[in-house]
Amino acid sequence: MLTTILATQHAHFNALANAWLIAGAEAFMVSSDNLPLACWPPFADIEEATLIENLWSGRTKVGELRVVGPSDPASRARLQNEARLISSLIQIANDLHSVTAELVDTQDQLLAMYDLTQAMRDQLDLKKVLSRLARETVRIVKVDAVFVMVQRSDGSWLIQQFPEPILDLTTLEHLLDIIKETGHDLLLSEDDMMNQEIPVRNLLLLPIQLHDSTRAALGLVNKVEGDFMSPDIKLARAIAEHAGARIENALLYRENLTQAKMQTEMELAKRVQLNLLPHHKPTIVGIDFWAGSRPALQVGGDFYDFLHLDGRPFTFTVGDISGKGLPAALLMAMTRTVIRSKVHDAPTPTPEHVVGRSNKDLYDDFTEVSMFATVFVGQYQPLSREMLYANAGHSPVIYCPAGGKARLLKADGTAVGILPTSFSENQRLVFGPGDVLVVATDGLNEAHNELDEMFGYERLLDLIESLADKSAREIAEELYRTVSDFSTGRPQDDDQTVMVLKGLAV
Amino acid sequence: MELKTRQVNGIIILELEGRFDAHTAQPVDDFLHEATLRDPAYVTVNLAQVTFVDSTALSTLVSGMKRARQRDGDLRLCCLQRPVRMIFELTRLDKAFEIFAGEDEALQAFTS
Repeated sequence: MLTTILATQHAHFNALANAWLIAGAEAFMVSSDNLPLACWPPFADIEEATLIENLWSGRTKVGELRVVGPSDPASRARLQNEARLISSLIQIANDLHSVTAELVDTQDQLLAMYDLTQAMRDQLDLKKVLSRLARETVRIVKVDAVFVMVQRSDGSWLIQQFPEPILDLTTLEHLLDIIKETGHDLLLSEDDMMNQEIPVRNLLLLPIQLHDSTRAALGLVNKVEGDFMSPDIKLARAIAEHAGARIENALLYRENLTQAKMQTEMELAKRVQLNLLPHHKPTIVGIDFWAGSRPALQVGGDFYDFLHLDGRPFTFTVGDISGKGLPAALLMAMTRTVIRSKVHDAPTPTPEHVVGRSNKDLYDDFTEVSMFATVFVGQYQPLSREMLYANAGHSPVIYCPAGGKARLLKADGTAVGILPTSFSENQRLVFGPGDVLVVATDGLNEAHNELDEMFGYERLLDLIESLADKSAREIAEELYRTVSDFSTGRPQDDDQTVMVLKGLAV
Repeated sequence: MELKTRQVNGIIILELEGRFDAHTAQPVDDFLHEATLRDPAYVTVNLAQVTFVDSTALSTLVSGMKRARQRDGDLRLCCLQRPVRMIFELTRLDKAFEIFAGEDEALQAFTS
């Protein structure tokens, strides 16, 4: 630093030296470690100095000012002042140098970080994020190798090492345990390494912070030319922090992707299902008819159907496959199709035939998957104003005669798929003006409220009785509304299907 | 809901206590899956302490019963409380299962 100042401030030193010479000194010099750095006039003898004052940079002596000739107190005081001034200058110059060096370092780091962010910017695939991170870190921090590890939800590790694997999993896990204990970086320098059984020269391991405490770490192996210094550690920390954000993104993306896929599949299944339900309203003389289904969030197993074929009585069905999700949805589609085809049988089948033959066709498949389907098949006989029906294990089915009490209609046979042969038998029900028949699925009576109470059969019976004088549509809508109000705050976890038939005056 | 299991003469007895519904059915389903792996599979489910069943519970019992019958065995029920019995009658599952009033009868029926 002293020599630098001599060079850069040469003119000032010149002026200083000349002032001494004019005042009568024989020589003025700047020396360091008793070696002359600059002399006025050149080649003066350093040994002959009559006045010497030290030059300091902080607390370190960096040189001397020497004068040959005067030794009076005034001259001594003057030289002291000049020495102090120059020392000040040296200190300031040193500080400036440090700051400049730091600035340069920081600039370098910024550029390196920018490079890294650019390289990792569009990467959403976790594996690629880690591999790019490893590669860039090797380049930026100048090490022989880097490893990045992230723990998966099942406990297994995803590890990327660049340019090639250096440490085995056991060693990596052991190192990870150490930083888990301490919570911060681990630096193993050349000296530390001699005690460890790890085949590297030096190692810097940093934890990567992830939001949900998933474990992750960044390891730098074998710093090129020496040991890890403070700027390296700072840089590595900055990289680890950035990596944390990128890894979070990649993990989130992966989760979103899986969820999105599942949701798409579900929605497709639901769309198919809804398409299998009737799209139009039937017109039957003497009957006010309404049917609808409110699917749950998850695809379910409810279905309803009706057929009014030429010259045949109006036939309607409601069914519920045990279970939920895609398996139930698949079986629902199958069951509906089988039942439909049985209704088309010739000669005209009665409900017990539809149920019996459907059971025969579906029994093996249902047994295979350990599932079953409750099915209600009804048929309206306009001439006798009667409902003929077969109920294979289905509920709730509620019959409310005009002006009378609502009651549950019991099943006459087991659900489809439970026994190899169905023993459902046709049941008769008088059905005249004002009579109401509601065939629904248990998504209604099994709806829960926030207190975990079920809607239940009782409420259903009372409600239908109170609505008996309304139209089929009004009854259905009021049923939905009441159940919905009851279960406010709870998600609908089962399909809710309602079919209402009301006898009309003809 | 509590599950207690015993074995008598190679017959597995499962005692349930409380509400048997969608929230509590899974462990029963898991248990019956295991229990019906044997050949033959004889299971008796004692419902004396069960106050309520819903469609998921019924579905679980039906699956267990069908699997047991596929392995030349059976899943039978005993000691149904009145409200539970009513649900079985409403859905005609009382015709699908062999149901006994007491546990001893159920076990005897297996061995005879």
